[in-house]
Amino acid sequence: MNDSPNVNPYEQLKSRGDHPAEPLIFEKHNPGAQAIDLPPLDVDEAPLPGERCGEAPELPELGQLDVVRHYNHLARRNFSVDDNFYPLGSCTMKYNPRINEAAAAMSGFVNAHPLQTDADVQGLLRILYELRLDLAEIAGLDEVSLQPCAGAHGEWTSLKVIRAYFNDPRGGNAPQRRKVLAPDTAHGTNFASCTMCGAGLELIGSKDGLVDLDDLRAKCDDETAALMITNPNTAGLFDGQIVEIAGILHEAGALLYLDGANMNAILGKARPGDFGVDIMHYNTHKTFSTPHGCGGPGAGPIACRDFLAPYLPVPQVKRSDAGDIEFVLDWNRPKSIGKVRSFFGQIGVLLRAWCYIRACGPDGLRRVSETAVLNANYLAACLADRFEMPYFDAAAGRYCAHEFIAIPRALLDRGVTLIDIAKRMIDYGVHPPTMHWPVRDCLMVEPTESESLDTLDRFVAVMRRIAEEAEEDTGRMHAAPHHADVARVDEVAAARSPVIVWRP
Amino acid sequence: MDYVQITPEQHGLMLQRIGATSIDDLFTTLPQDVRLNRSLDIPAALSELEIQKTLSELAGANYTADRAACFMGAGAYDHFIPSVVDDIAGKGQFLTAYTPYQAEASQGSLQAFFEFQTQIARLSGMDAANASLYEGANAAAEAVYMALNVTGKRRVLMASTIHPHTRAVIATATADLPIDLVELPAVNGVTDVDALRDALDEDTAAAMIASPNVFGLIEDWAGLFAAAHEKTGTLAIAVFHPIACGLLKRPGECEADIAVGEGQPLGIPLQYGGPYLGLFAARDKLLRKMPGRLIGATTDAEGRRSFCLTLQTREQHIRGAKATSNICTNQGLLAIRATTYLSTMGPTGLRGVAERCYHKAHYAAQRISALDSYQPAHPDQPFFNEFVIDCPVSAGRIVEAGRDAGLLPGVPLDRLGIGGENQLLIAVTEKRTRAEIDELVDLLKEVAS
Repeated sequence: MNDSPNVNPYEQLKSRGDHPAEPLIFEKHNPGAQAIDLPPLDVDEAPLPGERCGEAPELPELGQLDVVRHYNHLARRNFSVDDNFYPLGSCTMKYNPRINEAAAAMSGFVNAHPLQTDADVQGLLRILYELRLDLAEIAGLDEVSLQPCAGAHGEWTSLKVIRAYFNDPRGGNAPQRRKVLAPDTAHGTNFASCTMCGAGLELIGSKDGLVDLDDLRAKCDDETAALMITNPNTAGLFDGQIVEIAGILHEAGALLYLDGANMNAILGKARPGDFGVDIMHYNTHKTFSTPHGCGGPGAGPIACRDFLAPYLPVPQVKRSDAGDIEFVLDWNRPKSIGKVRSFFGQIGVLLRAWCYIRACGPDGLRRVSETAVLNANYLAACLADRFEMPYFDAAAGRYCAHEFIAIPRALLDRGVTLIDIAKRMIDYGVHPPTMHWPVRDCLMVEPTESESLDTLDRFVAVMRRIAEEAEEDTGRMHAAPHHADVARVDEVAAARSPVIVWRP
Repeated sequence: MDYVQITPEQHGLMLQRIGATSIDDLFTTLPQDVRLNRSLDIPAALSELEIQKTLSELAGANYTADRAACFMGAGAYDHFIPSVVDDIAGKGQFLTAYTPYQAEASQGSLQAFFEFQTQIARLSGMDAANASLYEGANAAAEAVYMALNVTGKRRVLMASTIHPHTRAVIATATADLPIDLVELPAVNGVTDVDALRDALDEDTAAAMIASPNVFGLIEDWAGLFAAAHEKTGTLAIAVFHPIACGLLKRPGECEADIAVGEGQPLGIPLQYGGPYLGLFAARDKLLRKMPGRLIGATTDAEGRRSFCLTLQTREQHIRGAKATSNICTNQGLLAIRATTYLSTMGPTGLRGVAERCYHKAHYAAQRISALDSYQPAHPDQPFFNEFVIDCPVSAGRIVEAGRDAGLLPGVPLDRLGIGGENQLLIAVTEKRTRAEIDELVDLLKEVAS
């Protein structure tokens, strides 16, 4: 803020919490200020293309210190894994190791132009090639494409590959297979991806949180291309019927697709290829510790069996058969679905995933999954007396995978909403879990392997305290959060009359 | 290092609390016959020190723009990145947060995205912008989906001068849909307005034109979009270069309905092609059909200005098969890079960068054209930061020679699958000095002789 005498010194009273509200960068406009300089022009000016020239865009002007302060102030008004426990189910908010950041920032990586010759970037191509092999081994599948930009993009790319395979007379030779099946607990992206690929989606019912095999048998026919399944599933359970499920699909001539969102539960313990999966996507930002960055960038590499490999997007990194360079990009793939993005892939993200896989090694990856599952079961066990857990019953030997569903029934019965609970968790410095998904009224908690026992115990204490508070004073719950940077945000008003750009 | 903090000593206590005897007990639902009964066959764990060393060697094995003057462009540009950008994007609070579903715990990123949307809307001259998409080519594909969706029509006209990667991604994206993609021919490197008029019909959802186009040439957006609008309902889609908006007429000034672009030049390093940043802006009337995350301004229960994700009913997690797109995330951290970049550059800085690109590219083009046996491929066409040169030898040979001279001389057009073997696409950013341009000229001269 500038020192103009017009500034109201009480402005900050509008803030709450420890982190004062920050004006918009446009409101900090300081005409004539500059945050950066450029070298003087060292060539003659060329005539500008008169009528094609426009006015300079109206961007704010600030000095460098005020730019830095602005973003520092904003950063303080954000929960993050670095600052808070973030048990957001299905998102695997694990620790993001700093070596990954240092690696991705090395000048020999960040300054590589995507159209350089293969000979120029052998170091990079080696990493990509090794990552390709690692991801194939972890999946128990044959081939990997590193190109998709994110999980949903990997899913979409996989559907394209499946379609191309069935459309190919020398491949699946069944162009009528346009129907995709998915359990009724599927991710929203599954549905939308199908629509974008011109495929119809049919839902399969669930029984006790697992796929209803009878329903699957009834709906799986000669028009079915694939079943999209998440396993462990979105209810936090490993569906032990998976081999049978794959059998039903394969017998009908269809394929099994795995949404790899929950791979963090089975690294080194079981491999999708070994339980019948034909093609799958990874989320490197979930499983392999690449940072979520407020919602991206991610990467969604896909892995598949040999018979689907010819249809993977171009280009593909491979070891060279001849010549003096070891690794090349292969563009000569006539059956490929084509390009799914400009250039090769989310390189900066893939580099981080490579680092993580190298840091963990085979034993480390297995420990990651074992600990993720241990932590989830520990939390579930500690909270089972206060929360309804439809799929967890330790006494009966029914354990969860790396996440669990908790329904705060007693609280809901008192008129406290799930949102109330979530907002109250913010007061305690915990990021709320995923809500109302995959079933109504549930919290989906995924602690990940990263957290210490202290943090887990503190979370248990917070949840128990909130349960007590709800019994004492429901009004206080409805008014939460009390200590966050803002009170409850009116999302309904935001949608009713959307303001998505600032106009003075 | 697996970064696990639970110690083996704590296992017993935790298992006791669970009521299990071993960690293996917890995996009972994994059928025995699908369990992996060996270690994964991947390399053994490396310590952080070893990883640093290995990666330094591998990074050093790359010959890249940190060691050579880079004249390569074609969709990815070696622009100056202020130190502020790396610093802000490296903050753990931005780096390690997720999509801001919980508004009260995410006001920082929400406000940053709201400011990003406003900056991109202003930069492109449009009414509204989203919080970003995967990258430029995917943003263009989303624009096509949106145009088909909004108009209910089935034909899309696409300039042949759009980057071939973008056209290829659109082709992949629409391959399974019952629509027609029609390529508009070019004359002397730019889209022919008569061809556009001829190709228009009642069923045309949109016409898409990039400017600067893949050859670096400035297209006549205003004229082409006016022609496209002669058919009622047809939408004009502009593919824009964000730096060019600092100097040239913006999509909004030329009556575009949708504007998409690659945001890489806004403070995002080359990093061999990704992650980059898809920019997407549109007219207000199309707001509710826009793909991707949107941040809205609102108030909290006590009347304070606050921000939240909004119009989520367009999105996959609410709307499933009827969603406007399957996109689940934006490119958050890259949007933060871009917004920090724009705040740091300001209008003067952005114009300074755009002017330097323009003048230096023209200096290079004029010097190279003065060489015997090198000719501009599109004489007398206005261009921005990039131009095609017809060379006396293969462009690949020039690139090879560049390596010894400490230069990355440009992109051979045939590497993009367009143009002839002897055509070299040369990009000049504000980072290039007169001396470096002169070195490039010397190299070309030498290769020709």
